[in-house]
Amino acid sequence: MNLITAIKLYVEKMCNESGPGMKTILLDKETTSIISMAFSQSDMLQREVFLFERLDSGRSNERMKNLKCIVFIRPTKQNIQLLADELRSPKYGAYFIYFSNIIPRTDIKYLAECDESESVREVKEVYADYLCVNPNLFSLNINSSMHRLNWLPDALGRTVQGVLAVLLSLKLNPVIRYRAGSVVSQTLAKQIYEQICKESSLFDFSRTHENGAAPPLLLILDRRDDPVTPLLHQWTYQAMVHELLNIHNNRVDLSNIPGIPKDYRELVLSGDQDEFYGNNMYANFGEIGSTIKNLMEEFQRKAKDHKKVESIADMKNFIETYPQFKKMSGTVQKHLCIMGELSALTTKRNLFEVSELEQEVACKAEHSAQLQRIRKIIADERISVDDAIKLVALYALRYERHANCDTSSLLQIIKTRGGKTAIVPSLIEYAGTHMRQGEIFNLVRISDAVKLTRNLIKGLKGVENVFTQHTPLLKETLEEVFKGRELDPMYPAINSELVPFRRPPQEVVVFIIGGATYEEALAVHQLNNAGYKVILGGTTIHNSESFINEVLNATDGMQFKHTKTMLKYISSDNY
Amino acid sequence: MSNPFGEPDDDESCEILEGFLCPICREDLKSAEFLTVHFERSHAEQQDALKSVFKDIISKAKNKILNFDETFDLSRSFDKNATISGAASSGGTSGNVAANATSGADNNGLKMSNARTRMNVFNFMDRQEVGAEHNHLEYFQSIRNPRLERYASETNKLIIRLHKLLTNLPMDPVLRKQHERNIVTWLDGSSVKLCPSCAKNFHIARRQHHCRLCGSIMCNDCSKFLPIETALQLASLATSQSEAIKEMQSSSDANKSNPQHHGIRSCDHCLWLLETRQEMHESRTYRPLISQIYADIQKLRKDVLPDIEMYLKIVGSLYDGESIFTIADASALRGKIGHVAEAIDLRSKRILAIPCQEGSREGALKKAIRLSCSQLIKDKILSIPPLPEEEDIRKIQDRKRMEAEQRIETERRQAMEAYERQALANNASGGQTRVNNENDYAYGSDLRSLDNWSAQPVNISQSEDPLVEQINIIKGYIKQARQEMNFEVVETLELNLRELQREFYERQRASRELNQDAGRSKQAT
Repeated sequence: MNLITAIKLYVEKMCNESGPGMKTILLDKETTSIISMAFSQSDMLQREVFLFERLDSGRSNERMKNLKCIVFIRPTKQNIQLLADELRSPKYGAYFIYFSNIIPRTDIKYLAECDESESVREVKEVYADYLCVNPNLFSLNINSSMHRLNWLPDALGRTVQGVLAVLLSLKLNPVIRYRAGSVVSQTLAKQIYEQICKESSLFDFSRTHENGAAPPLLLILDRRDDPVTPLLHQWTYQAMVHELLNIHNNRVDLSNIPGIPKDYRELVLSGDQDEFYGNNMYANFGEIGSTIKNLMEEFQRKAKDHKKVESIADMKNFIETYPQFKKMSGTVQKHLCIMGELSALTTKRNLFEVSELEQEVACKAEHSAQLQRIRKIIADERISVDDAIKLVALYALRYERHANCDTSSLLQIIKTRGGKTAIVPSLIEYAGTHMRQGEIFNLVRISDAVKLTRNLIKGLKGVENVFTQHTPLLKETLEEVFKGRELDPMYPAINSELVPFRRPPQEVVVFIIGGATYEEALAVHQLNNAGYKVILGGTTIHNSESFINEVLNATDGMQFKHTKTMLKYISSDNY
Repeated sequence: MSNPFGEPDDDESCEILEGFLCPICREDLKSAEFLTVHFERSHAEQQDALKSVFKDIISKAKNKILNFDETFDLSRSFDKNATISGAASSGGTSGNVAANATSGADNNGLKMSNARTRMNVFNFMDRQEVGAEHNHLEYFQSIRNPRLERYASETNKLIIRLHKLLTNLPMDPVLRKQHERNIVTWLDGSSVKLCPSCAKNFHIARRQHHCRLCGSIMCNDCSKFLPIETALQLASLATSQSEAIKEMQSSSDANKSNPQHHGIRSCDHCLWLLETRQEMHESRTYRPLISQIYADIQKLRKDVLPDIEMYLKIVGSLYDGESIFTIADASALRGKIGHVAEAIDLRSKRILAIPCQEGSREGALKKAIRLSCSQLIKDKILSIPPLPEEEDIRKIQDRKRMEAEQRIETERRQAMEAYERQALANNASGGQTRVNNENDYAYGSDLRSLDNWSAQPVNISQSEDPLVEQINIIKGYIKQARQEMNFEVVETLELNLRELQREFYERQRASRELNQDAGRSKQAT
């Protein structure tokens, strides 16, 4: 269950099936991203793929009959038309066509009719139709999946395809469970199930049932159950970079930051190609600082070694270790660059202070003390308005039903500072208590004695780290799943005929509608390390900024029912 | 953190646990592999781990207090736990043993969680097969091929006609028309009032014309002309077929601007069919310079990769002190690999030098090929380890040989002792035998070392033993294989040689013992 390997195997298969010889690859916008997440350009060069071309833009008319052409595109109407045009006047010698998802037969027929010069050698569906961010994390890059709290039709279609592709590429025919009470989850589950039934021959992986193991589980969750995780500031490397600098398709854009050297305007962060990153993506900010320092020292020592190149033997030695040397220096400088930027932002925005309070609000119930602190901190000019809004949003989510809840006065402060106050009521509409099902804030219920003891023990143990106290709801959910707890009330199954009798599944794919986060990816990673096979996916990977945008889009144009007290902060000019 | 499912000592701890459990933290690791990894990572230096069972609430509280003191310190805030437990343990040495033990356990716990987060996920998950796929080629072909076959038979008919048209083409225009009409019956034009393709009516100025290939009717504007060279190529005829064609060609050379004079009149459809055929033929056989050079590079690359592996193996075996390969072998192979690298480099440069349009895709292609070649050279070829120093190898080999010789020496001494005891017993008649024996001995021990052995080829060639002959033959082969740098063969032959030599030595010894036995029996008589 490794998503990056899955994509790699597919791409390698494409390259192998086309045989030896010079090749070009014809992609569309999305497949370009998909391949670039798993392969670097030089990887592709080693597989004899020398040219990259986009089917949908900037095409030249140069004919190169001596080249083979691998076509890897999504099966959209537009792509089919463009490919048909290409086949009518072929520019390359032979075509090997791969669609990233299920394609209607009529489209195949149409293409076959266009191939008049018999240049097509292969037509296949391979299910590499998602962006593999980490081996256990995928995204579909849908930044906004909902409108008026229901699916956008395009987003739904793409999500169904994406999740199906994940299942097919890992050869899973799962039990599908969805968050009860969430219309979007249910719709998605239903549509996926319909597709699986329709393509039953594709999903016939007999091996899964032969050995009597419980079938895998596809768990469809709703972001609105846990709106807190994406709002919190993150301290593990990958999550922090995404929060502060924004990772898009494993790339970080630093071009608008002054004083960045030219080579580092856009950085690739791929744990697969960059060993340092692979080892440290889940390490926290403090750890990584010291690791980089060690690496720097080692690097400098080596650099010093190489400076005294005197004899020919020295030179030879230098050349021989050159590739590793160069690689290492590149990695160190890259991460140094990022770390520098991260720590500058941390100081500038007083993130330690903000984050500590965020974590307190998320994990501890001390209303009046926290209200005081929030008041003080959001009025502080050194704290950015965006961070202040996030704090108020957390407060509003946490104490929505608290007797003395005073969100209005906090919003007043934000308003005087010129912040977008509409965010908070939108968030409550999107994911207020009326929407949530599980309890994300650890409110101890007397009935739940086990939980009580556990919390007590947790309290005694002491908090490991004030900045990483919060654990996402997902972790708890998955623990329940693997313990074999009764899931039906919270997560009913749509194809209950597959449900095994009280046996926990061995493999779980979690999909979060409304986007996953890197903090959840870390939780999944910890489970993976404990031997559980879990994969996490989301319509996108959120940081607080993108999450707030999604919330605003999802609630745009709605009548707000649950936030009447905040009515005056929902003025249209605030959008 | 150590156990993602919370404390082991909660409500479930009274159950009987089953599975791959870690004996220290009682965690189910799911498989033997995970368990070993877990144990190595987490409990490697945890000698006193069992003490961790005794958790002390006092030290917990202490931890918590210390925790509280050290917030807002950038550098230390994350290493806090480590420093605190360190501090606690140093405090503990003053007397509080229990606290010490616990903090040690905590420390280990922290390390464990670090190991967990540090574990590189990218070489973590198990092997995986390629995902599902669905092949549509069959269906695609079932649609495409009948269509293409129809076209193909049509095209073939046209080509046969074309062939007939072009052979024995008469010079005289009237005769030629007759010839053309004989081969393709022209459509009767009397009832055709309008041109079928442009729908203009025919009259004196717009006369009817016929396609020479299918006989259909069209006006002059709608006529296409198949160039005579293409026609010849399609009909696979030589240029010097007939006078008429030559004349047509020469006239076309003189008069390029007017296509009517040097082509065969044909309709749109026929021309399209023929052109498609021509294009397919060309694209299949199209092999520009760049492809040829590229094929060379691929061949070199394919050949050099096993060489590199062999080189690594040779170097490894040299460092192990084995004498199957010599440094000369390694250096020869290294030289060969270097040559290939140069050849690849040279060819990729030649590709780069092929002229093409600035900024065209071909230019990009050439650059990409060059890049991939230099990558290959840099990553695969230049990064091979350097030749081992002769001295180092000699030292390693000497050490090995010394060990071997010592072994022989002890064996020999034992044999000698046995022999002396025997000699004491039969000092009168055993003299002759002893001389023989000593000769045999020297011979045998020489066989042990390859160099000495090859230094006395005369002796061996004189020997009539078939084993020795065999040995000699193999040595010859090895020499040849070395010259051809076929090191895999060298390796197997060398191993064979060793076997033979050992066998030979064993026999020598056996015969010697036989001699001794004979001597003894003689003495007995």
